[in-house]
Amino acid sequence: MQETAQNGSEQLGVAQAAAEYLTFTLGSESYGIDILKVQEIRGYDSVTRIANTPAFIKGVINLRGVIVPIVDLRIKFNVGEATYHEFTVVIIINVLGKVVGIVVDGVSDVVALPRESIKPAPELGASLDTRYITGLGTLNDQMLILVDIEKLIGSDELQIVDSAADNSQSEVVNQ
Amino acid sequence: MTTAGGEQSGVDLKRFNEVFFEECAENLAQMEQILISLGDREPDQEEMNAIFRAAHSIKGGAGIFGFEDMTVVTHVMESLLDRLRNHEIAFAPGMIDLFLEAGDAIAMQLAGHRDGKPVQQEAIDRVRARLQQTIDGGTSQASTAPVSQTQTQAPPAGELPTSYRLAFTPEPEIFMRRVRMESIIAELADLAEAGTFRCEARLAEVPDFAGFDPECCITRWEFALVSRANRDQLADVFMFVADEDQLKIEEQPAERRTQAQDAQGEPALPVEGRRAYDRNETAPGAFGRRCGEAESSIRVNVTKVDQLVNQVGELLITQAMLSQVSVGLDPMLHQSLQRGLAQLERNTRDLQASVMSIRLVPISIVFSRFPRLVREIAAKLGKQVELKTAGDSTELDRGLIEKISDPLTHLVRNALDHGLESPEKRVAAGKNPVGTLQLSASQVGGRIVIDVIDDGAGLNRERILAKAAENGIPCSETMSDEEVWQLIFAPGFSTASEITDLSGRGVGMDVVLKNVQAIGGRVQIASEPGKGVRVTISLPLTLAILDGLSVAVGEEKFIVPLNVVIESLQPKAEQLKTVNGREVVQVRGEYLPILKLHSIFNLETCVTEPCRGILVLVEADGERGAVMVDALLDEQQVVVKSIETNYRRVEGSAGATILGDGRVALILDLPELFSMHKQL
Repeated sequence: MQETAQNGSEQLGVAQAAAEYLTFTLGSESYGIDILKVQEIRGYDSVTRIANTPAFIKGVINLRGVIVPIVDLRIKFNVGEATYHEFTVVIIINVLGKVVGIVVDGVSDVVALPRESIKPAPELGASLDTRYITGLGTLNDQMLILVDIEKLIGSDELQIVDSAADNSQSEVVNQ
Repeated sequence: MTTAGGEQSGVDLKRFNEVFFEECAENLAQMEQILISLGDREPDQEEMNAIFRAAHSIKGGAGIFGFEDMTVVTHVMESLLDRLRNHEIAFAPGMIDLFLEAGDAIAMQLAGHRDGKPVQQEAIDRVRARLQQTIDGGTSQASTAPVSQTQTQAPPAGELPTSYRLAFTPEPEIFMRRVRMESIIAELADLAEAGTFRCEARLAEVPDFAGFDPECCITRWEFALVSRANRDQLADVFMFVADEDQLKIEEQPAERRTQAQDAQGEPALPVEGRRAYDRNETAPGAFGRRCGEAESSIRVNVTKVDQLVNQVGELLITQAMLSQVSVGLDPMLHQSLQRGLAQLERNTRDLQASVMSIRLVPISIVFSRFPRLVREIAAKLGKQVELKTAGDSTELDRGLIEKISDPLTHLVRNALDHGLESPEKRVAAGKNPVGTLQLSASQVGGRIVIDVIDDGAGLNRERILAKAAENGIPCSETMSDEEVWQLIFAPGFSTASEITDLSGRGVGMDVVLKNVQAIGGRVQIASEPGKGVRVTISLPLTLAILDGLSVAVGEEKFIVPLNVVIESLQPKAEQLKTVNGREVVQVRGEYLPILKLHSIFNLETCVTEPCRGILVLVEADGERGAVMVDALLDEQQVVVKSIETNYRRVEGSAGATILGDGRVALILDLPELFSMHKQL
């Protein structure tokens, strides 16, 4: 059954309402985010640390003259080890009018998943709250955790958006 | 019928309204400038025409954009100016003040429309009534002919009405320029003797349907009227609408009036003429055309310029990165590369200077408002003052211009109120009874220096000390003159023995200092008893670039804005003390708290002992402190970047910048650091 879903997605391709996802790994888990939110992918560079911020905010970098905060999701979600080497990747995403970099262990692929192959995520009580997960997809027998990156970046937990923006965002989340 | 246009398509019109507001403000400023420059002398023909043009443009614009209330004052004012221009009314010195007041009234209406500020209708009515009075008074002197009550632009008396035929053939794009024929027709009808106005619209050269463009004007207008107005006055109605070849005015012998009178009281408006083309109409050409000099400037949105400034800032950073990389290369092997890089550096610096200069505006914009202020205040105080300005063409950043005008106004008021003496006192002191107030601006290095100099009595050391002691401001007899002068910047200090409505509310000088410091400036005072006071404000050229001292703490670099830095030193062990467990450093008898950047920012560093690090003494918002860093690196100009664009506000930082190696460095916000230090 997983097979058919996979084949189906390939046949339907872009023509059907199959959203495309950028998949990446955090430790041993695979995640996916909406490709349209991704601006670019780059290597991990040294960051300028910012005082009195949570550990998962690594600091800020200079992205062609724009100052961009870097979030390490591995620290935030307690998955894998937060190590930085030449294969560490930063995905630059553009949501809510902000440009934010997220550190991941590696970027795998861009896949198209048809809507029907995405299953709702069970309540796990995990550190990555279900409200930030749009669903679970399947790819080559592997489970893909699809993250609503916009909600995540806008959440109070990440403290990226200032409190004024937080309020409007939390309303959206509550709905 | 002319009011409708103002509300027809609100969103679209807003943009054009903004243009009108700007032009109106410019016209008002220009008018005021001319009026002030006159003093009490009669304007010559050219000046009179310039004032008239300004008033007419405002009126025309207000009418076109549907701000009918604004046309009321301008209309009367224009009439009076017109009489003056034609020597039908004799010039009287009081008229200058009247015109200034009228300008104020219009400015108030403008502010009402633009910013929704309250408009005092009585004041407007008063000015209008006085203008009307002057017209009536002046006219009745010239002739006994009664002046029509409702028609403010009543024809000059004493002239026989003439019958005119006007043919107006507009260019096809006339509606694109946001011209409204209705208002022109209404204006012509106003000029005409009652019941003689006739208007006809004709379609000229109707194209076939395929070639028909509904936004083009293919209508021609013909007007017939009997009027006491002369040819020029009629032509003035079309001032901003028609080129000379488009308008034909024929005078006809008075006997043929009857023909026009046949059309008794029927100012029939051409239906063809009424077209509501509000979209895609570009207002800028509608007025200002024919206003004199050819346009040598363009209006550009400020955000576009800011974007350009940002991009050049990035280019500078890239260039700095490249030259840093090239340092490691063998000059023999990479000679051409290095030559190219050197050229790139020159070019980027030039480019930066040019781009920055777009944002620069001459300081005369600020200076030009002072003649009037000085004139009024001097009159109120019974003092005689001559205002001199120098360096009017000195340019500084547009953002700074807005922020410097308030502090300067305070200083000028202060100089007039407290600095300059009354004529009697001046004569007694052997000085010219007319005091001099000089405003001068000049560029010194990368900074703009503005001096406010008066030749008054100078600051009184004893009085300042006494006043400071009275107000509980710490001071002592042994202070140097400079330190005493600084006391007047203390909050709540005011030497005026009584509070006047001009100054002396005790909020003056400390506000000046605060505002100037907020834009990275400094204020200095020099004074000599009996000779006067010189207040010097020095400002950075621009807000987007900041002079900074880069310092290292552990692996991080920070930028300390240079304008808060007093000095840097490496303290000796005996200079270090603790107060309540807080470390302080003693510098020349003063104990300053030590702000350890590494503990405020939670950084790892090997330097924790002040003796081994470097203390940067800073002063911000009147608070002094010593910021402890590992090392001083460089003094450089940095491009200020916002962290908030993509992240939140970072406590203790006033932004960030990108260093030559491409890394981000935070710019320290000293006042915030002081409060963070207190909470540690």
